Amino acid sequence: MKGIRNAVGGASALTTIAWRNIWRNRRRTTLCIVAVGVAVFFNVFMQSWMDGMFKGVEEVVRTYDTGHVIATSKRFEAEQEYLPVQFPLAEGRSAEELVSLAESVRGVKAALPRIVAYASLFDSTKKHARLWGVDLARELAQNDFNVAARSDGLVVGRFPEPGKNECAIGTVMARKAGLAVGDSIPLKTVSAQFSDKYWNPLVVGIFEFDYRRFDEDTIIVPIDRLQRILGLAQGTQQLVVYADDERDSTEIRNGLRALLGEDAFVREWSDNYWVAMFRSMSGIYTVVYAVFLIVASFLIVNTMLMVIHERIKEIGMMGALGMSRREIVAVFFLEAVFLSLLGAAAGALVGGVASFFGSRFPIDMEVFTGGGMKDFPISGTLYLDFSPWTVCFGFLFGVVVSSLCTLVPSLKSAFVEPVEALRR
Amino acid sequence: MKRMNDGITIAALVLLCLSALPTPAAAAAEDIPDPVALLRHVDGNELYDTISYTGEMIIEYKGKRFVKEFKAFGRENRDTFIEFTNSEDAGTKYLKKDGRLFVYSPDTEQVMPISGHMLKESMMGSDLSYEDAIENEGLAKRYVPTISGSDSFDGREVWVLDLAAIKKTESYPRQRLLVAKDTLDVLHYDLFALSGARLKEYNLIRVEPIGVRRFPVESEMRDLLRKGSRTLFRLGNVEIDKPIADSVFSTRNLK
Repeated sequence: MKGIRNAVGGASALTTIAWRNIWRNRRRTTLCIVAVGVAVFFNVFMQSWMDGMFKGVEEVVRTYDTGHVIATSKRFEAEQEYLPVQFPLAEGRSAEELVSLAESVRGVKAALPRIVAYASLFDSTKKHARLWGVDLARELAQNDFNVAARSDGLVVGRFPEPGKNECAIGTVMARKAGLAVGDSIPLKTVSAQFSDKYWNPLVVGIFEFDYRRFDEDTIIVPIDRLQRILGLAQGTQQLVVYADDERDSTEIRNGLRALLGEDAFVREWSDNYWVAMFRSMSGIYTVVYAVFLIVASFLIVNTMLMVIHERIKEIGMMGALGMSRREIVAVFFLEAVFLSLLGAAAGALVGGVASFFGSRFPIDMEVFTGGGMKDFPISGTLYLDFSPWTVCFGFLFGVVVSSLCTLVPSLKSAFVEPVEALRR
Repeated sequence: MKRMNDGITIAALVLLCLSALPTPAAAAAEDIPDPVALLRHVDGNELYDTISYTGEMIIEYKGKRFVKEFKAFGRENRDTFIEFTNSEDAGTKYLKKDGRLFVYSPDTEQVMPISGHMLKESMMGSDLSYEDAIENEGLAKRYVPTISGSDSFDGREVWVLDLAAIKKTESYPRQRLLVAKDTLDVLHYDLFALSGARLKEYNLIRVEPIGVRRFPVESEMRDLLRKGSRTLFRLGNVEIDKPIADSVFSTRNLK
């Protein structure tokens, strides 16, 4: 022992001893490595999955719902679940005027007027839909409607043209209602004056946005046509504003509030319910990962306790040969650290590879949701978010948590009396 | 002994006198009308061979007020024709014929049938559904009435008439009517869902005697599932049982 200590330095010698010890029982060592590896893999993979989902939700919310900043009237906001058209934004002012006003704010890239209203369909299989009245030229210049594919989402035909009695519907609606390009959709909606407005737009295009709420429930129409039918004159219900840099959202929101007056309700995209919910849950996920690692570490803890019990004579011998209690503890602790390191490295590697593939080859979320989560703002396909930082963090997290868990059992070896140990 | 006999005789006489008096329950039972007859009387006020009138439907919602004007013609329970005349809805026409409802919209220049789930939708954004608006069959044919007691409403004594639907397909499985004891006008009624939830309420504002009827010419309906909303109905120029040409109730009249 003294020779080893003198030859290679204390810490180095202890490290060498610990490294050799872990291979004395390969099966046990493999089991410990696998346990930690699985936990770290889960950590890395799930972190990538959740990050991918967060980004997906944020992108969908920004594209279809809020932009970076959205302005409506306060009375609309109070009743927004009903999508009322009776409370336009800045009543009396035209959509063009509001767009110019918004685009004069520093940092604004584009301002898009939108009208969303419920419609009752005369069809018995598909009874209700949402009308999405937009300026398509402006929208397509700003957004990819199919967020996952980065495309306009058109599958058949074309988008409706301004001023025309035309519409586009989603693939799921087309299938359920048995509609194709060239068919009409008789529908009824309620105007701003509470009049029943009957309409029969012609289907000129079918789209797939890979977003269930749109593909199944939404009819896209030209905003000017919808303004006329709903009796909104030139007004708009919502103004969706996009920034050059999303970090300017707060400043843009404040600027719009000042310009639009007290009756307007202006909020940022991060105030969206789903975005705020996901952000608040990130801390919870960290706790979940830690719990998984702690549970996996119990295997190492149990292993260390068994090893100490089995090698009690050896511990006594080490003590008798002059190793201090601290050095004995260090040997066992280092064994545990090596197991954690190897397990975390394996888990991080596999998790990283899986995340990388997931970022290139998307996962079909409808396999999990069955297409039922229409109100959840996420695309039907999910790309994992691969990040080297996530892999590194997962590795370090795995090493630290596993090692810490084994500290106490390692200390147990310090309390073994050499004389008593050698008698056994 | 004699005193005891005298006491027994007096007690018997008192008991005899008391039994001759009517009990409170018996007294009340005599005044309670037959619920079926009461319901038929209620129906009688609002049933007709033909009717025509001009009307105003005032929708109040969240501080906004919308006025819809219309002309209406009706023939028994079978046929109804309504044409809106206010500027926003001018030219919109509804025809109920042979159990079906049709609408003509000047926006589409087409006649469209309204059926199925559409009948349950609000008519012109009001608190009335299409179903409510076109239904005119007597309550006595559709409900089983019971009188559950008396109450007072707006300072007037009323009978509380509970109705249970005969058919399960009835839009409102239960109704509760408050019928004035003096005039037998329906002052108020509530419409309930199968779960017992109160869906709509109606309040009578004004009646007019037309012939032998007391016809409600001003009333209010509230859809309780819509907060802050009510619809006022005002009828004018009401003519009952006057001849109306068949052509009024034809689909050609829609266009």
